[in-house]
Amino acid sequence: MNEILKEIRKHCFIYLLIAKNCLIGQMEYRFNFVMGFFIEFMWLFVRILYVIVAYQTNIVINGLTPDAVLLYTGTYSIIIGVYTGLFGHNFYELPEHIRNGTLDTLITKPISLQFIITLRNINFSWPLSDVIGGITMVVLAWNRLGINVNIINIVGFSGLILSGILISYSVFLLPRIFSFWLVKTNAITSISEELHGFNRMPYLIYNKWIQRIGIFVLPIFLVANFPPLFVLHRLSYIYILWGIVAPILFGFIVRMVWNAGIRNYTSASS
Amino acid sequence: MSDITAIEVKDLIKSFSYYKKELGLKNSIKNLFKREQLIKEAVKGISFNISEGEIVGFLGPNGAGKTTTLKMLSGILFPTDGYATVLGQVPWERKKDFKMNISIVMGQKSQLWWDLPANESLYLNKYIYEINDNEYKFSLEELTELLDVKELLKVQVRRLSLGERMKMEIIAALIHKPKVILLDEPTIGLDIISQKKIREFLKFYNQENKTTIILTSHYMKDIEEMCKRTLIINEGIIAYDGELSKINDVFGHKKIIKLSFEEQIDKKDLEKFGNLRTFDGFNATLEVDKSTIRSCSYDILNRFPAADFNIEDIPVEEGISLLYKRG
Repeated sequence: MNEILKEIRKHCFIYLLIAKNCLIGQMEYRFNFVMGFFIEFMWLFVRILYVIVAYQTNIVINGLTPDAVLLYTGTYSIIIGVYTGLFGHNFYELPEHIRNGTLDTLITKPISLQFIITLRNINFSWPLSDVIGGITMVVLAWNRLGINVNIINIVGFSGLILSGILISYSVFLLPRIFSFWLVKTNAITSISEELHGFNRMPYLIYNKWIQRIGIFVLPIFLVANFPPLFVLHRLSYIYILWGIVAPILFGFIVRMVWNAGIRNYTSASS
Repeated sequence: MSDITAIEVKDLIKSFSYYKKELGLKNSIKNLFKREQLIKEAVKGISFNISEGEIVGFLGPNGAGKTTTLKMLSGILFPTDGYATVLGQVPWERKKDFKMNISIVMGQKSQLWWDLPANESLYLNKYIYEINDNEYKFSLEELTELLDVKELLKVQVRRLSLGERMKMEIIAALIHKPKVILLDEPTIGLDIISQKKIREFLKFYNQENKTTIILTSHYMKDIEEMCKRTLIINEGIIAYDGELSKINDVFGHKKIIKLSFEEQIDKKDLEKFGNLRTFDGFNATLEVDKSTIRSCSYDILNRFPAADFNIEDIPVEEGISLLYKRG
């Protein structure tokens, strides 16, 4: 047990060092750093357009008012921001690293391979606008909807956001791991990127079967739907439980596939 | 060098699957539907032992299986078959204890953060390898002084010259004092002075720390100066295991006689004595059997107006290239 705790501490500290190194590295290129922020800001604007449309038409989606849609979009922005900042670049580059054999030296390090390969690039400029914009939208919608600011709501909302982040790690890493067998997986990964888009609107707009598949089989709807539904009291106990179990279960699946994949790493000629 | 075995390799095999595609779009379309899978055996059942503290050179032409072997010994690749232990551990199990005690340097792959000064990467390695503050400080001081790069620690890696960067790579690989170091062409692309400096350093480091080193290089000097023992690997098999200087013993005891003459002589007269390698009328290189060297020398000196006469061993490079060709 002590050994496990020691390893967790070691990995946390190394993660902080990696974050520091990434920040120093990115600030070397000021123009790129600032542009990254603006480009993501434009994406945030596109998402806000959905809310504007909802407000202008005063549409109610399966019981969700425009304020609820704002809460939903804010939540999605926070999660997509964290995803792009912490995982996006690593996942994107994984097939290329496998193809070019550039994972060699990392494999020999006394540290979790999955940890170092999937988390070592953190982008600070991309997620900034998403996270700040997302938090602003959530606070605004929370107020307008008159949701109680109590421990249960805050812990539940934050916990399910964490669950969404963890689920997005598993669901979007999984297709990339197939690169260990297939080398290039652009087709599969494009599908998974598109699936990400399913979270732009609440899953309640889809029919029952799509909802079930997106919640239980490929838990794409867990990424951003559960936190707002929880504070709106529209999430059943089974779904809350699934929100806790799913990240662990899918994390475990990803781990198994990863371990099988890394055995297939063939490197490349030097 | 001690009697303890640091690296044990037995019948190690590594195969890769690949396929061929004929030229042109038509064949690419055909390939979409049917591909003939071919298997390349990069390493074909090699066996050897390396003792603790030994420096062993790995020589071989491109594609011989040198790097593949190093990658299996460092745990990067799983073998297709066979067995190996490094410091008593199976490398491809990738256990923490194993990783803490080995290091691999690849001349063409970097572990340093490109946009950061090298000291940031080294500091990260401090925590990855769980080195305490004093040990880290001491190692860093020692290594940077020996390699003469102390002043460059704060310079962005991408601004360093190739030689300086390779020195930093070596420091990053040695900062945790590994017991086994695998060096894959560490001097590739470097100028003669940088090559020499790195060779001297590695030799000194091996003597001081009794570190076991395997080195692959295309530069004969690297192997000649550093390694008492050389393994020549060609087409996935070990073609030679021994001292580099004795490599020509494999090829039936030949010697070279180099001759210069005071006046032009006839080629036919000289050919009787052995295999004439070069000849221009006034100068000649003759390959003769070691057993006949005395009588040959006597006859040649008696019959021809020799101005200069030298007996030499067949150059090591030639022996190696013959081994390469023989496969």
